[in-house]
Amino acid sequence: MGGKYYGSYTLLIPTELRHGRDVAPHKRKTKYHVLPCGAPSGKPEGGTKLDILNNFNNLMMGLSVAMQPYNLMIAVIGLILGIIVGVLPGLGGANGCAILIPITFAMPPTAAVILLACVYWGALYGGSICSILFNIPGEPWAVAVTFDGYPMAKSGRAGKALVLSSLSHGVGAVIGVFLLTFFAPIIAEFALKFGPPETAAVMILTFSAMTRLGGKSVLKSLVAIFLGFILAAVGMDIVSGKLRMTYGTVPLMGGFSFIVAVIGLFGIGEMFLTVEEGLKMEGIKARVRLKDVWDALREMVRYRKILMMGSLIGCWLGIQPGGATPASFMAYGFAKSSAADKDQYGKGASSGIIAPEAAGHGAGTSATLPMITLGIPGSPTMAVIMGGLMIWGLQPGPMLFKEHADFVWGLIGSIWVANFVGLFLVLAFVPLFAAILRIKFSILMPVIIYVCAIGAYAVNNRMIDIYYMIIFGIVGFLFKKLDYPIAPMVLALVLGNMAETAVRQALIMGRGNPIIFFRPPIALPLVMLALFLFFLPTLSKWKQRLSAKKETKS
Amino acid sequence: MRKADIIVALGLMLVGFIVLADTIRLGFGWGMSGPEAGFFPFYMGLGIVICTFFIVLRGIKIYKKEGSGKPIVAEGGLTQILWVLIPAAGMVLLAELVGLHLATVLYLAFYMGVVGKMHWVKVALVSLLIPLAVYIVFDKLFLIPLPEGLWGGNIMALIPF
Repeated sequence: MGGKYYGSYTLLIPTELRHGRDVAPHKRKTKYHVLPCGAPSGKPEGGTKLDILNNFNNLMMGLSVAMQPYNLMIAVIGLILGIIVGVLPGLGGANGCAILIPITFAMPPTAAVILLACVYWGALYGGSICSILFNIPGEPWAVAVTFDGYPMAKSGRAGKALVLSSLSHGVGAVIGVFLLTFFAPIIAEFALKFGPPETAAVMILTFSAMTRLGGKSVLKSLVAIFLGFILAAVGMDIVSGKLRMTYGTVPLMGGFSFIVAVIGLFGIGEMFLTVEEGLKMEGIKARVRLKDVWDALREMVRYRKILMMGSLIGCWLGIQPGGATPASFMAYGFAKSSAADKDQYGKGASSGIIAPEAAGHGAGTSATLPMITLGIPGSPTMAVIMGGLMIWGLQPGPMLFKEHADFVWGLIGSIWVANFVGLFLVLAFVPLFAAILRIKFSILMPVIIYVCAIGAYAVNNRMIDIYYMIIFGIVGFLFKKLDYPIAPMVLALVLGNMAETAVRQALIMGRGNPIIFFRPPIALPLVMLALFLFFLPTLSKWKQRLSAKKETKS
Repeated sequence: MRKADIIVALGLMLVGFIVLADTIRLGFGWGMSGPEAGFFPFYMGLGIVICTFFIVLRGIKIYKKEGSGKPIVAEGGLTQILWVLIPAAGMVLLAELVGLHLATVLYLAFYMGVVGKMHWVKVALVSLLIPLAVYIVFDKLFLIPLPEGLWGGNIMALIPF
């Protein structure tokens, strides 16, 4: 091995063999011990010092991958496209990535994931430009930024608001990617022990967290999840090879592509919402001067506590699915309640921009963590990127770290690089990006629909997908109007096959007994946590009701 | 709004029933090698039916108590939506015949000229240049063929490059 160890190659050795006793093959237990090869054999578990060193080496490798001219160019293109997509109404990170997936077929996977991830980071930056200058949140988690960002921009400090927001984004991202770099390998190592019941338990946890975090009606969230799973099941059953829910029609045999669903639900549906509300684009002109940067930097140092708190809230909630939006609101709420000058909030307080922005980007970045370690995407955009991974022939999950280390570390490296480049791009070219929104709506709208149609068609080269896209658009509009959450549905559609396989395999393992889902030591606490999260709001409601009754009695 | 809520929930319930019907055909129990093909979708369909049942129930309760509430589409919103939906649907139908690029040229020209009421020079420029750019990027650079429709291929063959 030549001494250099990247921590990425492992050997699976039966435990018995490792201890020097050979057992007859049929008597061997199927327990395998994961031994990193090339690591000093004296310490099979590897001291923490070694782990950190390995991570550092891996990060360096990732950075060198990300800094390759081709990948760097892809990153910049992705960021620019992402910012544009984030600024435009009707297009967001999720469908921006979905539309680009067909293009990535022609690229090596590392470059492809860098492109999509950079679209995501760009959209995160771009969403706040839209919120601050136009008072229109480009993305749901950018809503909290409009509370103070728009007033500040209106009072003539647009430049400062933008710098504050992008710098907070940068800090949130750095903290998020820092966690990612050092925790992802540990979690991936842990996740290697997962069998089907554990995978199913993680899914249950994911969806129960999602149902509760959305803040929408539980029944409607459940319907959305079930619908996503059903849509994923249409077509060929991967286990038995039977055709399911095709009702004898040929177009349904191909099933529903999540890309088409994402483009329809988010893109076209959003477009309907935009025209229905009759949005008027009246933006504030902004230019970033050096003085603004200096001002913003001083404010950042002044509110460093709020900045850190926002980023940490973001990272924590971002690991859970659907976390970015609640994270930004929560951070805003915390900042407001801990501030000395509460009456400044809503009128353009700096900390009212810093907290939600840091939280939003922190959440976006840390959403990568469950995606690459567990195969569970933390946000709709991550779900699309994960779907892309599967299309490129990579299985998201713990084995990714072992089998495609250059891919994973290239992605992590690109997050480090892209966020710095993105920061610079936003600060330097804000007026340009804001100008996009001044293009007349009657040009933007048909072009966006055109681009969406291309994206939907190019996934499978099927005309029917464009019709599906329009139908999904109508469904998306109705769902948005009637408060059915869309993100869980997309997540269920992407995870559908994985979840179903996990559930079926687990049941086979348990010979049909569902008690297998409560298997200790890993599955049990996960399912318990899921149930706890799911019933927590109901319990607290009951408690309130009970105490209210007691009060009225006394 | 509340009427629409009930109607959409009923529609979803119908979807649930349709799914249930097919999964029962496939079998949702324990087969030769573990759960049968219809196992997972059966419970998902069942879940939809149960959840939508409660949504409808609650919807009717609120509807009786408080009336129908706001309309689902804001006043004047529907015409706006149809102005987006119908040209888009028309573009897709046209794309079946002449291909996506040519359909888009007409679609962009129609939308900008009729709805946006822009100057015809601008209309012509934008509606020709954007599909051309997309054509070059997708069909020529990335070699991703976009739909040509019935006659689109013949018409595109007239373009010299």
